[in-house]
Amino acid sequence: MSSQDNVNGQAYGFQSMTPIEPGKEGELRAYLEGLDIDDSPFGKLPRTHMGRFVIVKDFYNDPSWGQKEEHLDLQYLIFTSNLDGDIDSYLDELCEVMAPEAREIWGRCVGCPENPKGAALKAYLKHNQIDCGFFYAAYGTATVPEVKAALRQRDQMIAFATRSQGLSPDELQEAFAAEFGA
Amino acid sequence: MSARAPSAGPVTATGTASHNVHGQAIAITVFSTVKWWGKPILPALFAVTKRVPKLTDTLVQLSFIHFARWSLVKQIPYNGPPQSKRKLRYTHMYFESNFNGGWEEYIDAFSQILTDGMAAFWGSSYGFPKALPTAPFKKYIQNNEIEASHYYSAYPEATITMVKAALDVDAKLAALKRNAAKMEPEAFAAAYERFLTDAQRSL
Repeated sequence: MSSQDNVNGQAYGFQSMTPIEPGKEGELRAYLEGLDIDDSPFGKLPRTHMGRFVIVKDFYNDPSWGQKEEHLDLQYLIFTSNLDGDIDSYLDELCEVMAPEAREIWGRCVGCPENPKGAALKAYLKHNQIDCGFFYAAYGTATVPEVKAALRQRDQMIAFATRSQGLSPDELQEAFAAEFGA
Repeated sequence: MSARAPSAGPVTATGTASHNVHGQAIAITVFSTVKWWGKPILPALFAVTKRVPKLTDTLVQLSFIHFARWSLVKQIPYNGPPQSKRKLRYTHMYFESNFNGGWEEYIDAFSQILTDGMAAFWGSSYGFPKALPTAPFKKYIQNNEIEASHYYSAYPEATITMVKAALDVDAKLAALKRNAAKMEPEAFAAAYERFLTDAQRSL
């Protein structure tokens, strides 16, 4: 697998997996679960389509499946983002605008730089990156601003189509120009 | 351009923990343990799937997945003590999906429509009970699923169908917007009618 496996169209799938300091798992979970979904730190990164934080306590073991038991040594934090464009500039942005949250999040992870921001945090996240094997994006050519604008415009178009019924060609053209700036 | 927020359809995200949900979007996160023979086969399978778009046609047609990924954790990056330097005995497969609809319906659709694809991707995982029947498969996913602690979508009000429809309208409307001012009113009205006919399935 290669870094190219993280790309689909212009979209990039980033994933990191960092060990959580023993004893800090509960407070990290409480912090993440307490984040306001309508004021998510991901919202500071306008190139993020979808992202998540997941705490992995352990691998699932079922003796009836025939595998030898395997357990994680520590609990791990998984961070994934489905984002626009190249990962380097995205992490540069993340490591600046999310610095306050980064202290609360990766600051509770083993090996995190003492001042978790900027180049040091970026290096830490890249060191812990897990490459995708297969990354699927249903609309990998469209950026977040393009998706948001298209959604707004579709609503606008539906409303306009309803409102403009019965207009003469002159009125229709004028109304269309006023609505869509054409 | 209007500044209105896109209209939200009825919320369909059901059947999962609250932290896995943001608006219409649902997160599913699953770890599975891979048998020894999956370690060489899965990368080849991923490579073929990526290079032969026809293999993901069904995934595209199902139209409920925004983004999904499969990654293989062969070793965990080392960050110093107290993390162990111990090597993993097995490769572990991480799967995540960002989808809309109900959790049950998602797993049902995965099982019944992507049966072969499921067998290919998870067939080398310990405990995989085959995609059909769905009940044992749902149990398998539930056992291996991990709840997100925080999940975010940049456009939580939108289903994948809405996103695709909006991008389709945008592409079709672009030519009309570009040429509208240069057209006579009658020609514009005819072009507008053609646009509505062409884009009606996306409106």
